Amino acid sequence: MAEDVKPTRKNLMSIEDRIELSERGHDTLEKKRDGLIMEFMDILDQAQDVREELEDSYEHAQRSIDLARALEGDVAVRGAAAALKEHPELTTQSKNIMGVVVPQIESSKVKKDLDERGYGVLGTSARIDEAADAYEDLIANIILAAEVETAMKKLLEEIETTKRRVNALEFKLLPELHENKEYIEQKLEEQEREEIFRMKKIKDMMEEKEAEWEEETEEAVEDPLAADD
Amino acid sequence: MSQEIAVIGSPEFTTGFRLAGVRKFAEVPDDEKDERLDGTVEELMADEDVGIVVMHDDDLDHLSRGVREDVETSVEPVVVTLGGGAGSGGLRAQIKRAIGIDLMDE
Repeated sequence: MAEDVKPTRKNLMSIEDRIELSERGHDTLEKKRDGLIMEFMDILDQAQDVREELEDSYEHAQRSIDLARALEGDVAVRGAAAALKEHPELTTQSKNIMGVVVPQIESSKVKKDLDERGYGVLGTSARIDEAADAYEDLIANIILAAEVETAMKKLLEEIETTKRRVNALEFKLLPELHENKEYIEQKLEEQEREEIFRMKKIKDMMEEKEAEWEEETEEAVEDPLAADD
Repeated sequence: MSQEIAVIGSPEFTTGFRLAGVRKFAEVPDDEKDERLDGTVEELMADEDVGIVVMHDDDLDHLSRGVREDVETSVEPVVVTLGGGAGSGGLRAQIKRAIGIDLMDE
């Protein structure tokens, strides 16, 4: 608030420094925000493609498992599912996009050969193999979607914080600093005017006193003559 | 550190993933989802070995508000929802809030 600052030249100088710094910070943050949004746009296109593919592969996987369930029976499908030994593993590495750390997910053992699956080939039918195949594809797509969507979430968070910072500087801090600066400037000008007025007043008073004194001395010079008479 | 994929949902939803080798799964029958889904999701999301949680988009409606928000914004683990089309899982709302326009508008 403008009333909280002391109207001194030192404060004015420090406020001017702060305004310069804040304006520089504001420009930098604005550039960062725009850069992040551009990066985000690239990822968004990618994410929409990945999402579409994910939904397609989910539908396909569902169809194939429904078929397997219908033809083989639920128990057979569940039995085969319970026999799986190998499981997909994820390792996460990170990548840096403009200061935002986004994960890069590597996966292993997602796609498996028929003999790696663990259920007996003779006891099960090709329908179950097809369903397992479709779900392996689906998992590969899920991993891709997870990677892209995490990157999007992190970028969005960063965009939001940067935007908030830019707005705080633009609409809160900078106006306040400018207001304070103006207040101090006006106060200092007023003090200067008062000072000039005071000087003028003193000058007048001095002149008046001088005139009085001169009058007195003149009278004093004239008086001895009168006394002589 | 290697992590795993976890699946939460009805038994019909999880079976397929188990067929593809997913070991961590939580089966919650449809009629118990309102009571049990919150706890199950929280439990799996607190598990450090889980890197990705897979759920059906419709199941999000059974979650309480706080848990749903966690699911939508969580990054570790990230929750991928299926069956909801593009822009599901709160991402669309987040884009709208951060960028100011609905970029996922078809």
